[in-house]
Amino acid sequence: MRSLILATAIAMMALFLPRPNALAQEEAAASADSGAEDPAEERAAQFVGVKGADAERIPGGILMLVAYAIVWLLLFGYLFRMRMLQRQTADELRRLGAEIKASGGE
Amino acid sequence: MKTLGARKAGSSTVWALLLIGTLALFGVTLYTIFVVAPVEQQMGIAQKIFYFHVPSAYAMYIGFGVSALGSLMYLIKRDTKWDAVGVAGAEVGFLFWLIVVCTGPLWARKAWGVWWTWDPRLTTTLLAGMIFAAYLALRSMGEAGEVEKRFAAGLAIFGLIDLPLIHYSVQRWRGVHPTVITGKGGGLESEMYWALGLSFVAFTGLAILLIWMRLSVERDREQTAQLRFELMHQ
Repeated sequence: MRSLILATAIAMMALFLPRPNALAQEEAAASADSGAEDPAEERAAQFVGVKGADAERIPGGILMLVAYAIVWLLLFGYLFRMRMLQRQTADELRRLGAEIKASGGE
Repeated sequence: MKTLGARKAGSSTVWALLLIGTLALFGVTLYTIFVVAPVEQQMGIAQKIFYFHVPSAYAMYIGFGVSALGSLMYLIKRDTKWDAVGVAGAEVGFLFWLIVVCTGPLWARKAWGVWWTWDPRLTTTLLAGMIFAAYLALRSMGEAGEVEKRFAAGLAIFGLIDLPLIHYSVQRWRGVHPTVITGKGGGLESEMYWALGLSFVAFTGLAILLIWMRLSVERDREQTAQLRFELMHQ
């Protein structure tokens, strides 16, 4: 069993550890590519504002509305839940206080 | 009861001021987001999700951080007020986590064409939510005894470890999640910075308010549990 586990571990290392030549090739490719940034990477690093009427034709308004609706729904839902919890706790406190007074008076 | 009433009266003015300030700030923030900040060139109007998504993540850090701190203090001092801090922080942090994971995919659909991807930041954020969901599930099972409270406290401290992983995951593991705000400056125009900055402050105020409210409720619940215990043993 131990030798099987050891063999599996060695096989996994052989599969996932890069060879020295492969490492050197990856480094060379990375340094060659570092100057050229693809559009996705460029988009991930900056936001540029648009001037003019183009904004009106760009889709995504529904996504934005849904996102903001979710935010407000979650916030108000939580506030409502807390209010219910507060009321329950206040009622319970009143009831327990009355019971303690009553049992203390007996 | 008298002590409880006096405590509430003492802090209600500060709470009210914070509430009014936060509401006013939200109004200004919404105006800045939709009127002042321009529409982004490539993403369009969907980019404005960013102004709530990012501050929600930051508020999530506040909630989970407060929960971990309260849990740590509870494990050290065994004082139930710190346990209440842990519960309040976890709930509020989880609320903002829900906001993050609901608004993020809506943005991602526009930006990447997919609702979800196993990007490092998204994955570690999901993990944080699962840890604190486990915390809340444990605490919601009836009256939590000492063992449940301590176990949950341990979970919250464990969840704290995930927070820096979320924050640094993009740089460390080269994810596709945007990093428009970095230590070297940002990729935002000045009006966008204003909108984001105001949103950060508004969400900070909101997180503090919600934690405060939830803490107050939790302390009242602990008092009812204490009274119930006294009644049973009379």
